[in-house]
Amino acid sequence: MAPLEPWEKVLVDYDAFSQTAHGKQICTDCHNGVHSSDKETAHDGLIASPSAEPEKYCAECHEEQTATYPFALHSTQEGYWTALDARSVPENHPALEEMFGNHCATCHTTCGECHVSQPKNVGGGLFTGHVFEKTPPMTRSCTACHGSRVGNEFLGKNEGFPGDVHFREGRMNCVKCHEGSELHGSATVEADAEVHRYADAEDPKCVDCHPTAAPDGDSNPMHQAHGDTLSCQVCHSITYTSCDGCHVAISQKSGNPFFETEATYPTFLIGRNPNPTEERPYKYVPVRHVPISPTSYQFYGDDLLPNFNALPTWLYATPHNIQKNTPQNTSCTVCHGSDGSLFLTADKVSAEELEANQSVIVGLVPPPVEMFIGAPFLPTSHLDLASNACTACHATGIRNAPVSPEDHAAYKDENCSGCHKLQP
Amino acid sequence: MKLKLTSALIVFTFLLTACGKAVTPSPIATAEEEPVETEAVVEVQPEADECVACHTDKQRLIDTAKPVVEAEGESKGVG
Repeated sequence: MAPLEPWEKVLVDYDAFSQTAHGKQICTDCHNGVHSSDKETAHDGLIASPSAEPEKYCAECHEEQTATYPFALHSTQEGYWTALDARSVPENHPALEEMFGNHCATCHTTCGECHVSQPKNVGGGLFTGHVFEKTPPMTRSCTACHGSRVGNEFLGKNEGFPGDVHFREGRMNCVKCHEGSELHGSATVEADAEVHRYADAEDPKCVDCHPTAAPDGDSNPMHQAHGDTLSCQVCHSITYTSCDGCHVAISQKSGNPFFETEATYPTFLIGRNPNPTEERPYKYVPVRHVPISPTSYQFYGDDLLPNFNALPTWLYATPHNIQKNTPQNTSCTVCHGSDGSLFLTADKVSAEELEANQSVIVGLVPPPVEMFIGAPFLPTSHLDLASNACTACHATGIRNAPVSPEDHAAYKDENCSGCHKLQP
Repeated sequence: MKLKLTSALIVFTFLLTACGKAVTPSPIATAEEEPVETEAVVEVQPEADECVACHTDKQRLIDTAKPVVEAEGESKGVG
């Protein structure tokens, strides 16, 4: 997105704007300032972004949105704090808050930064002569901030990789899936505020538009076999971007905050879902390396993330480059009985991050299809067993249990149900 | 006698009314009933027009813009 000239940022299309509801008001109603032909005088007391105070300037007409937006993630940025809190300790908060204010808080978004102007952290500037847009323009609003990963994936800007089918074929923009009710939030009190984008209901959810892809929804054997164990992106996304080692500091030269990332590289890796929930029951999900490091914030103090290993550095990801056909869904053998190149196995994790990523590292790649097709069914009587400790009986053969073959030695209890299904 | 006095009073009152001026709409009242003129008064606010006059004039915005000091980007890598 090319930066706007200073005059472009504030040029008002009065013919268009005056026809709109917002254009019926006097400028100073929202922007304060002084009526004068002299610029300096006119801008005395100017409020450039009235919607930074939505309850004062927006609520009279947009009561529903202003009631929830203060608790929405675009406003609170609580997703960052959920991760920072988990990796840190309360006594480090003052230093982290200073860091956050200098480097992260610019991503806080006001109503106006989606509906009338480009976000401040990409230079600002009115979209269309001050006309308010109910639907934020995608590339000047959404991907202006969410550009380096989501935007590039969705729009096909990663060289060699096509854009998301919803964009290429459907010409869909972000709000086709991410509706206003999601973006504006739903909580009206702080206690109910969202804490992370994956914390609550899966919204948007692919099967809302593709109901036949849900388990039992169609005759596609892949959907039947994997619908509740793999997130849709495992089979339908392609290579996406990961990053390493972001460090932030204040420049001694200019006094401005800056960052440095050590590496950015394409990945496609399937990991375990570190936190399966009723909404997201998947056992496997794509994982993206995020650029956190134990020393990311060392400019602001030593050891600010003493609980660094509390969260993975390879995170559950929902890449925005969905395709019907992908390299991994061409054949069962790409995953089953494969060399494991598509899986986040321990050898792909740096030694210093192994502990942090135990919950997402895949220990065993799925066995060959033939192996589980021929696997004996689990007896119905096993439903009554209180324990899922299959190996307790099948490793030694107690209670006349069949002893598991030698090639099963590496399998753990959690792996058994992958092949041994209940008799239909 | 009483009837004569009452009749005389009615006749007197009628004559007095007939001598009064006819009620005609005043120019002021007419103006108040013309909504167009009232709106025009609201729209013509020279002070408010100063904002619009400047912010719709590209050349004036260019002429009055603060000089842009290009800050050297110090960040490295993908944000």
